[in-house]
Amino acid sequence: MEILDKLINVALIAATLRTTAPILLVALGGSFTTKAGIFNIGLEGQMLVGAFFAVLGSIWTGSALAGVACGVAAALVFALIFAVLVVSFKANEVVVGLALNILAGGMTISLMKAIFGTRGSIVGHGIVGLPKVQLPGARDLLGSWAPLISGFTPLVYVAFIAVPLLVVCYNRTRLGLYIRVVGEKPEAAEALGISITRVRYIASLLCGLLAGLAGAHLSLGYITMFTENMSSGRGFMAVAILIFSNGDPLKVLAGCLLFGFADAFSLRLQTFGYPSYLVLTVPYVVALIALFALSYRARPRVIAETLESMRKLLSVDKNTEPGRKNPQ
Amino acid sequence: MSNTPGSPTLHSNAAMAVELTGITKRFGAFVANDGIDLAVRRGEIRAIIGENGAGKTTLMNILFGLLQPDEGSIRLNGEEIVIADPSVAIKAGLGMVHQHFKLVPSLSVADNVFLGMEIRRHGLIDHAAQVERTRELSKRFGLQVDPTERVGLLSVGIEQRIEILKVLVRGARTIILDEPTAVLTPQESRELFQTLRSFVAEGMTVIFISHHLEEVMEVSDTVTVLRNGRKVATRPTAELSKDELVHMMVGREVSFDRRARASLHGDVVLEVKDLWARDDRLLPALRDASFTVRSGEVVGIAGVAGNGQTELAEVLSGLRPASHGGAWLKGRNLTALSPAAIRQAGLAHVPGDRMVRGVDRNASIAANTLMGRQHRAPWSRGGMLNWNAINQNAETLIKSFDIRARAAGDAVKRLSGGNIQKVVLAREFTNGADFLLIDQPTRGVDIGAQEAIHDEIMRQRAAGRAILLISVQLDELAALADRILVMFNGRIMGEVAGDDADEERIGMMMAGVAAPEFAAEIAS
Repeated sequence: MEILDKLINVALIAATLRTTAPILLVALGGSFTTKAGIFNIGLEGQMLVGAFFAVLGSIWTGSALAGVACGVAAALVFALIFAVLVVSFKANEVVVGLALNILAGGMTISLMKAIFGTRGSIVGHGIVGLPKVQLPGARDLLGSWAPLISGFTPLVYVAFIAVPLLVVCYNRTRLGLYIRVVGEKPEAAEALGISITRVRYIASLLCGLLAGLAGAHLSLGYITMFTENMSSGRGFMAVAILIFSNGDPLKVLAGCLLFGFADAFSLRLQTFGYPSYLVLTVPYVVALIALFALSYRARPRVIAETLESMRKLLSVDKNTEPGRKNPQ
Repeated sequence: MSNTPGSPTLHSNAAMAVELTGITKRFGAFVANDGIDLAVRRGEIRAIIGENGAGKTTLMNILFGLLQPDEGSIRLNGEEIVIADPSVAIKAGLGMVHQHFKLVPSLSVADNVFLGMEIRRHGLIDHAAQVERTRELSKRFGLQVDPTERVGLLSVGIEQRIEILKVLVRGARTIILDEPTAVLTPQESRELFQTLRSFVAEGMTVIFISHHLEEVMEVSDTVTVLRNGRKVATRPTAELSKDELVHMMVGREVSFDRRARASLHGDVVLEVKDLWARDDRLLPALRDASFTVRSGEVVGIAGVAGNGQTELAEVLSGLRPASHGGAWLKGRNLTALSPAAIRQAGLAHVPGDRMVRGVDRNASIAANTLMGRQHRAPWSRGGMLNWNAINQNAETLIKSFDIRARAAGDAVKRLSGGNIQKVVLAREFTNGADFLLIDQPTRGVDIGAQEAIHDEIMRQRAAGRAILLISVQLDELAALADRILVMFNGRIMGEVAGDDADEERIGMMMAGVAAPEFAAEIAS
C-alpha cells in the first residue's frame, strides 16, 4: 500500500500530463489527415524535423518562441512535400510517409554533423528552452494539487486546449465538416463542388503545424536538447492511436493519456531500481494490450450472430427429437 | 393518368422550362447523342425512356453541366445558356438526383441536406436552424424524414428523399431524376410518384429517366423515347400503350408475357437447409434459408438488392463460407467444397457482377469461353493449350449464342453489356452442369439481348437443368420462374407461384412483411 502511494500520486499524474503532451499534439495533427482520408505515417518525421529546427532556431535567434516557429516551419515544409506527392501526384501515402521519415532521420543527423560537428546530441550551444508557466493563484486554489495545472511549459497547455477546439472544429465549422466529408465520402464532396484537393492540402498542413509544435515541445519544452531520433516512435504511436480512434479528438485524448501514463509510470518505476530494460517495455506492453482489447471489441457481433444461428440450430434439433409434441 | 395539375391549357401557355436543340455528343467514334431535340414545358412530368446505351444519361449529364455537348444549344426558361459545370445548372434552378446517392453516412440528415451551403451563425454551423428548415421542407413536399437522424442508419428509400431535399433546398425548379426507382420497393416507388406530383402541383418541372415501362405509364405526362442516341418520338403518355412504347424503344415487338412451357420437374438437384452466412462486416446477411430446386425447374429469388441475395449466391458458389446449415448439390455438401470442386460437382454460375467475376475484360472472347476448363480435353492436350480447338469452340459459341462480335480474338471489353453477358452464358451453359446459378442475368442489358438471354434460360430449363434465378426485376422473374422466393433482410419472406406473381404481394414481402406461413417460422 505504501509502495502504491509512492507510485501513484500527484507527481505521477503531472508527469503523465507532461509525457502525454507531445504524443497528443502529434496525434491531434494526425487527426486532421485521418479525418480527411489520408493515412499519414509521416508524423514521426515531421515531429523529428520540428524538434531539430526548433533547437536550431532557438540557438540562432536566442528566442524560444522563434525556435518554435522554426520547428513548425520545417514540419510544414515536410507536410507540404507530403501533400504535393500524395494529394496532387497521388503517390502511395505509406511509401511517401516512410520515405519522409527516413529523410528526416538522416537529414537531422547529417545537419547535426555539419553544423555542430557532433553526433548523438546537441546540448548547450545556447539553446533557449520554453519557460515553465506558473499559473497565478493555482497554489491557493488547489493547494498540493496545483502541479496538475501549473508549472508546465506552454505547449502542454496548447496540446490539451487543442482537444476541445478540434471537437468544435469537426462539429461546428465548415472546414471541419468538409474535412470529414472528404475523408468519408469524397464523391459527395465532389458532387457539391467542395475541392477535395484543397481540403486535403489544408488538412495536411494543419497536421504539419501540430506535428511541428509536438517536435518543438520535445526539444524545447520536454527537455532542452536534441538527440538523434528523439521522437523515438511517438509518431508511430500516434498513428496507432489514430487507427483505433478514427481521429476523434476525445478518443485520441484517451489513447494518448494511456500511453502517457504508461510512459510516466515506467519512468517512475526506474527510480525504484527495477531493471530499466524491463521497465522501458511498459509503454509497448500497454500498446499491445490496447491493440488486443480494441480488436477484441469487434468480436461480439460475430458472437451475436453465432448465438442467433446456434439457437435456431438447437431449436431445429429439438423439433426433430423423437417423442416431442408440438406445443398447444 | 396525365391529369396532373399541369393541365393542357396551362401547358400551352407556360414557357418551356428546358429546351435542348440539336444536342450531339461523341465519345471517340461512338455517337452517344445524335442531334437530339428536347423541349419540356414548365409544370409537366417528362419521362425519358430508352434501352441501356440509348443516350438518356448522357443527355441529362449534358443538361446538368457534367458533360459538354459537341453541338447544339440549351435554353432554360427561354434564355440561352452555356452550362459549363453543375454549379451553373444549380444557379439556373436545375437539380439532379443521381442514381448513386452521394450522402455522408456519419452526418445527420439535415447536415447532409445543407452540405455545401451550411447555415452559419457567428461563423459556426447552426445545426438547429438546419434541422428546422429541413423539417419545413420535408413537410411541405411530404418527404418524411427525421432531420436529426444519422444517414448511415437509414434505408435506401429515405436516402433518396434526402437527395431530393438536397436538390430542393438549393432552389431547384426543374428536377432531373436518373432511374429513381431502381433501388426502391414498389411501395416506395409509389410514394416517390406522389412526391413528384406534388412538385408539378407547385409549378415545378420533373424530368426522369427510366427503362421501366410501368412507372413511365403511371406517372409521366409525356414520354420522350431515345434509341441508339437518337430521339424516336415525344408523345403524351395518355395516347400510348405499353406495347407501342416497347416498340419505339427497341424498334420491334418484344414479349414480356410469361413464357409458356410444360411442367417437367424432376428430382431435387439442389437442397438448401437452414443456411446462414455473414457479410463482409461479419453481420448476419443470410438467415436460415431453406429451399429446394428440382431439375427442369426455375426458382426465382426476388428482393431489393442487398437483402442477402449476393451472399446466397456466393455461398452456393463457394466464394463465401456458410456459418451454419448446408447446401447439397446432388447429395454433396457444397459448403465444404472449394469453388473449383463445386463446379466439378455440377454448378454453373452466372455471377451478378459480370465484369468482376464473369469475365476477364482484357482477355479475348476465346480465352473467356475457355476459363475453367483449360485443363480438360479438347481444350488442352498434354499440358498445353490447344488454341485451334479453343478458337473453333469459341466461334461455335459466338454463332449459337448470337454474340455480336467480329472475331473470337476480340477483347471482351469491346463488347456491349448484353454481348458480354452472352459470353458468360455461352461458357457457363455449355459445361454440362446440372445446376445453374444465375444472378441478375439481364442487368445493364438492352431489351433485345434480354429476350435472347431469357430464351436461352428457357432452353436450359427444357433440357432438365435446375435453375436458381436471382433478379431484382420482378417482370423477369414473373416471366421465367416457376416459383418465386422473396428475400428481405437475409430471410426468405415467402413463396409465390410464378403463374400468379402478384406485384403487390411480392412488394409487401420485399418490404419485410412476411407471408403468414413464413411469419410463424421467423417468429419462432
